[in-house]
Amino acid sequence: MENKFIIVVVVALFIIALMQLMKVYDLAAKIRGEKSEEKVTRGENIFNANMLIVFMLTYFGFIIWLIFKYGMNGGLFDAASVHGQEIDSLLLFNWWVILPVFFLTNGVLFVFSWKYYYRQERKALYFPHDNRLELIWTIVPAVALSAIVIYGLKTWNDIMFNDQEGAKVVEVYGFQFGWWTRYSGDDNVLGKADYKLITASNPLGVITSENIQNSYNYLDGEVEKINLLLSESKNDEGEYFLSANNVDSLIGRMERFKRQKYRIKSAIDRGDQNDSVYKSANDDVLVQELHLIKDQPYAMKFRSKDVIHCPWVPHLRMQINAVPGMETSFNFTPTTTTQEMRAKPEVIEHYRVINEIHNERLKKLGEKEEKVEFNYLLMCNKICGAAHSNMKMDVVIETAEEFNSWIAEKQTYAQKASE
Amino acid sequence: MAHDAHDHHHKESFITKYIFTQDHKMIGKQYLVTAIIMGGIGIALSALFRLKLGWPDDKFPLLESILGSDAAPDGLLDSNWYLGLVTLHGTIMVFFVLTGGLSGTFSNLLIPLQIGARDMASGLLNMIAYWLFFISSSLMAASLFIETGPAMAGWTVYPPLSVLEEFQPGSGLGMTLWLLSMAVFIASSLIGGINYIVTILNLRTKGMTMTRLPLTIWAFFITAILGVLSFPVLLSCAVLLLMDRGFGTSFYMSDIVTSSGALDATGGSPILYEHLFWFLGHPEVYIILLPALGITSEVISTLSRKPIFGYRAMIGSMLAIGFLSFIVWGHHMFMTGMNPFLGGVFTFTTLLIAIPSAVKVFNYITTIWKGNVIMTPAMLFSIGSVSTFISGGITGIILADSALDISQHDTYFVVGHFHIVMGMTAILAMFAGVYHWFPKLYGKMMNLRMGMVHFWFTIVCGYGVFIPMHFLGEGGMPRRYYENTNFPMFDHFLDLNVLISIFATIGVIAQVIFFFNFIYSSFRGPKASQNPWNANSLEWTTPVEHIHGNWYGELPVVYRWPYDYSKPGKENDFVPQNVPLDADEEEH
Ligand code: HEM
Ligand SMILES: [Cu+2]
Ligand SMILES: [Cu+2]
Repeated sequence: MENKFIIVVVVALFIIALMQLMKVYDLAAKIRGEKSEEKVTRGENIFNANMLIVFMLTYFGFIIWLIFKYGMNGGLFDAASVHGQEIDSLLLFNWWVILPVFFLTNGVLFVFSWKYYYRQERKALYFPHDNRLELIWTIVPAVALSAIVIYGLKTWNDIMFNDQEGAKVVEVYGFQFGWWTRYSGDDNVLGKADYKLITASNPLGVITSENIQNSYNYLDGEVEKINLLLSESKNDEGEYFLSANNVDSLIGRMERFKRQKYRIKSAIDRGDQNDSVYKSANDDVLVQELHLIKDQPYAMKFRSKDVIHCPWVPHLRMQINAVPGMETSFNFTPTTTTQEMRAKPEVIEHYRVINEIHNERLKKLGEKEEKVEFNYLLMCNKICGAAHSNMKMDVVIETAEEFNSWIAEKQTYAQKASE
Repeated sequence: MAHDAHDHHHKESFITKYIFTQDHKMIGKQYLVTAIIMGGIGIALSALFRLKLGWPDDKFPLLESILGSDAAPDGLLDSNWYLGLVTLHGTIMVFFVLTGGLSGTFSNLLIPLQIGARDMASGLLNMIAYWLFFISSSLMAASLFIETGPAMAGWTVYPPLSVLEEFQPGSGLGMTLWLLSMAVFIASSLIGGINYIVTILNLRTKGMTMTRLPLTIWAFFITAILGVLSFPVLLSCAVLLLMDRGFGTSFYMSDIVTSSGALDATGGSPILYEHLFWFLGHPEVYIILLPALGITSEVISTLSRKPIFGYRAMIGSMLAIGFLSFIVWGHHMFMTGMNPFLGGVFTFTTLLIAIPSAVKVFNYITTIWKGNVIMTPAMLFSIGSVSTFISGGITGIILADSALDISQHDTYFVVGHFHIVMGMTAILAMFAGVYHWFPKLYGKMMNLRMGMVHFWFTIVCGYGVFIPMHFLGEGGMPRRYYENTNFPMFDHFLDLNVLISIFATIGVIAQVIFFFNFIYSSFRGPKASQNPWNANSLEWTTPVEHIHGNWYGELPVVYRWPYDYSKPGKENDFVPQNVPLDADEEEH
């Protein structure tokens, strides 16, 4: 209430002040005998012209200050992947071409506007066109852009057509709101998956004979439940005491579960326990963090359960959409382990600052202090709903030994099934 | 045309004069006022959600009292509503302020006046277009008041997120309203656009050849063509989305599992939606930009007292931009997993657009060079607009590069880029247009000093908000995040986000100066003279008061292009288009 009152008062005062200001101006102009609102006075021309220069200098200064304070890649450090380093050099090249153009063109614009401010005694130059000049500033940008295009497309093709032999296949799967990672195991082949098999115990819908059976059980159970519910909601005359809407939606759900079972039967279930489709998932491992081996090429696969998500690992410069109904892929090789990264002087310094700021905030919130360490993170970069800003998964880059001992402790699909 | 000088005598009622009017000048004013109101809403929304980004831990009782307790319980903005505000902010700014508002106002006001016509080709269609625009604006604004909130899937409303209420509450009624509103909006744009095209082609006065048209008219012309070619695609895109939402089709959906089990939908693809959407979406940014560039061309030439440099090159580059804008949409989709070869093609076509854009910038600068620059608010805003066009265009070169997009896509770098190149350039140009043509709109003058103050606040705050966003993006910060505090790796940006929010708040409040000046001046401003800026184009030969049919007596006849400023051998530093050439004078 108080706040509202203060705001209203401030706004009212502001408007009154403006009105008074206008009156003063109009009066002053009348005294000078000018028709005030059509002519910009000499003083105003000079003032605004000078302001343009002041503004330009402030603007440029602001940008340079930001560059010094936050750096050109604000706290991401050198890319920790092979292709990421290529992207960074390309980016730097681009900046070197375009930043001078930025300062120069803006500079010329402001300086000319300042230099040629209106003076009654002067006359502007009548200069409607000049083919030579126009040709120059068509060709010069074209040449500069050619360099950018060629270098850019070369990098793009290197990154996207990068089918390295021995790349390990790993899948990242997005859902509202989190991620799964599936390792393809010794055969380096991800077991087939189908969304129709997705249940709480089989979040990716991976096809194994157990999973199919579980799905049947689950779907039968749901149908049963709804049936029961419906029969319990009838009164003695056999009429539902639920609203018609409710009944319809329950029946709709039930029909959907029945259809789903039918679709599994007809499209997925091979009937034969020994079919190879059921085997390739056996050595797959499902976890909720992403461990990668340094210098190991990866062929990452991405899918989504519900809406479009976008796995984004800033430190690796790795990003690609995860789209329901299709599989996308991204191939890359990490180059720096988490430990190596933590040991870099610039990382240590940066995280000293981060810790300071972080704990200052926690203190204000009355929460316990905590130590923030450098970690690779995978986050979501495509709007996907309420917790879009909290869809994170830890990424660890480590040596092959570390990775092997980590994964050895995880259960494969086969191990889980035999329990 | 049946109108001639005699028929402005008959009396008009309030309703036919101010509401269901068919007079293009009044319709232009209706568009302007609607756009200002929508702009007020859109910009206020951004100030509200910036509070959350700047001060993530604070509660703002103000939010609860404005938005209600669903949206901001205890003054803490709800995360669904955050996305809803962002979505409506983007939609309103792009479509209602800078498409409907900018084109609607100035195409309507200026096309007949600058080509020497008594009115639009069809006054009735023109009126219908406005009222459709009004209805769609109301529907969109109304969606802010429903309990489950407005559409929340971002202004691009990608499916499947925008299809099911289970995915987010805004995909229910809010999204339905969004689609209805957009459908009406598209109808309005199409009707308006066809009218503009027909008028420009058919109703030019004697002597007004295509190469004597002011650049504003060329800009409106190309804009209208872009709109007529691309909006129908958006309409079909929206209709398919409507069917997926309501009628169980699966154009955009496949293999989806919700909390209530697997959906039946198979075979569709959200990527199809993205292609259709961006086939409009990219031309759309030029539908926003071209009128802005047209206005700045006109203002810069007039107030530098100097012909626009490279008139034909300006037309040529607008045509080139218009054409290229249809073959670059894929640059919004580099990260969808599309064929990398295709990505390469889109990179190439996108970077091609930089060439005509560069030509335009250099031509503006050469126009100012050795000019005699009068610092009216319109001129200041135009200089600002060219500056933002440069600053934002530069970062576009980075985003066009598919390889670089891997590390920039959907980060705050993109937000900084498009706000500067499209948002600021167009908004500044729109202000320039209002200050410049206010005497034509209302027959009054706006207060120049307040205009100057308004300019300095706006440009400083605008850059203050959007330049730092580039640095957030380079640090990897994703856009459309309700808060960044889940990621301590972004904590060093906490103070930068405060700075941005402070600039945003001041910038928004500073617009009160404009509101006030606009309203005050339209009622009590000093009366304008017929040609206050000593300009050449035909609108300044009409009487100050608005009359039906625009000119008393005969229509003016045109003998020259509109840019004869400071022509050697002339007494004045301007020669209006309806002044015949001297016996030995060359045209230009
Ligand atoms: C006071 C001025 C403005 C401020 C402070 C502001 C701020 C913002 C912010 C913070 C976002 C959210 C970015 C994100 O999370 O992705 C945003 C989104 C957006 N803004 Fe603005 N903006 C302003 C003016 C404008 C203008 C003039 C336009 C006109 C083109 C505009 C168009 C958009 C669009 C299209 C989006 C994207 C919405 C979406 O992600 O769905 N804004 N704005
Ligand atoms: Cu997500
Ligand atoms: Cu585009």
